[in-house]
Amino acid sequence: MGFTRDEATARAKQDLAARLNVTEDSIKASVSDQEFPDLALGAAASGEMSGQMISSGWQIKLEADGKSYEYRADKYQLRLVDFEGSNHVIK
Amino acid sequence: MNRNNIWIHIAIAVVVVTLAAVLGQIRRWESSLSTPRTAAPRSVTVPDFSGLGNRRDEAEVLVRFKPGVTVEQIRSIAEQNNDLMDDEYEAVKGLVSIDDLDDADVEKTVRQYAAMSDLVEYAQPNYEIRLDPSAGESETEDLLHREFSGQPNDPQFAQQWALNNVGQDGGKERADIDALKAWLKTRGSDKVVVAVLDTGVDYKHSDLVKNMWTRPDSVPEYVDDELGSIDDFQGFDADANAGDPMDDNGHGTHCAGIIGAEGNNGLGIAGINWNVKIMPLKFLGRGGFGSTKNAIEAINYAIDRKKHGVNLRVINASWGSTQYSRALEDAIRAAGDEGILFVAAAGNSSTDNDRRAHYPSNFNLPNVLSVAAVDRTDSLTSFSNYGAKTVHIAAPGRDILSTWIGDAFRDASGTSMAAPQVSGVAALIVSNQPQISVAKLRERLLSSVDKIPSLDGKVASGGRLNAAKALGE
Repeated sequence: MGFTRDEATARAKQDLAARLNVTEDSIKASVSDQEFPDLALGAAASGEMSGQMISSGWQIKLEADGKSYEYRADKYQLRLVDFEGSNHVIK
Repeated sequence: MNRNNIWIHIAIAVVVVTLAAVLGQIRRWESSLSTPRTAAPRSVTVPDFSGLGNRRDEAEVLVRFKPGVTVEQIRSIAEQNNDLMDDEYEAVKGLVSIDDLDDADVEKTVRQYAAMSDLVEYAQPNYEIRLDPSAGESETEDLLHREFSGQPNDPQFAQQWALNNVGQDGGKERADIDALKAWLKTRGSDKVVVAVLDTGVDYKHSDLVKNMWTRPDSVPEYVDDELGSIDDFQGFDADANAGDPMDDNGHGTHCAGIIGAEGNNGLGIAGINWNVKIMPLKFLGRGGFGSTKNAIEAINYAIDRKKHGVNLRVINASWGSTQYSRALEDAIRAAGDEGILFVAAAGNSSTDNDRRAHYPSNFNLPNVLSVAAVDRTDSLTSFSNYGAKTVHIAAPGRDILSTWIGDAFRDASGTSMAAPQVSGVAALIVSNQPQISVAKLRERLLSSVDKIPSLDGKVASGGRLNAAKALGE
């Protein structure tokens, strides 16, 4: 089974909390439906290729310690965008 | 005037009128049945209604009703308008001719039916242009041909604007690859193999199953130095290092349908090739992304099968990224050395590939074609990458209906959908000219485009794929 929007958001908060060593409760989230340019949600990781089909998913914007972070997700995957200079596949 | 003279005059009048009527009908039959042989100018976008009074021999309107509207409903609608449903064209679902019993103005009648947008796809005069030599015979023949003949019986064909654009859903007439005319020459061949290097293909899909490649007895099982022997009867899965390339995403199945959904089988859609063999190669996983390493693995498989006698002529690559890989470039070059054309999506970032490269479409190799996407009005789509030097050709890539996993059909958009249009036409060319070299195949595709002003400076050929011209029709 794949992600739901809520599951993806919860997993994103969990991931960011671990990366920044903060509590999940301290992270603010805003989620919107989004179209992405490809099947890697416009955030291909190193060494990755992806189908060039317009796809729909969710943009998850998180805020912690006064900084903004972007995750992207669809029912198959969750990605962290441009974190420390590169994209990351979380799931 | 004596009584005998009157009868002679009446008899002559009857003969003349009857002769004229018979000749007129013969011309109409010719119009609807004849096959156009002259390439029509591509500039005409809508039928010219002006001056129809002296070009038409009766006040008839051709109306195509939407799917689900029954013949009984159509008859009832016609009766309410004091019209008569004159004829039903079984080959084109929902298409009827309406005879206006009031002999009202044809344009008015057309507008009356066109206004029923919930029920009617389009309405147009049944005009008879052949009687007027100045009217442009070939244009008229071509329009009639596009609407009334040569069409496959696949029920969703009317939605395949990329193959036959008659202006449906706000499109521009003839902003298509001219498949109907191409099919006069060839509808493909099961001797030609096209690899879909992607998320796999749903090889059990009802509209694909007859056109799926399976390894013939004459070709031995695939043996990889590291992986050992793999039962590749259905193809190859480089993601799982296995022989089952079943699609679990949908993207590859969509590409496969564009290239070769079975045509004229009364089901779903028509592929550019009604007959072909699709070899599914899976390297993208369920999410639609995968590793460069696995792409190379799958290309190596394809080359191996070619060397073992499989007539693999085209690899479709509806994927990419901005990351350069020398190893991937070398694998694609090796495919070219084996006579395999590699058709790649240009990417969907709305960016200029001349400035920011997208791979594999940007590999400067003699067997690579990079494909941008246009929409149903022949405009470059807002998402498509472009590049006057590095993107070679454009093809339809927005709102493309094709096959999907689970025996389904759906629309999708992207240069992913444009690349298989080119791969499909490449396969048509090969079916018609089996010995053509990869260099000439590539050249043929590029030199036969319809030049589109908006693509000037955006793609190297300056045009959009045209299957008919590519086949010399």
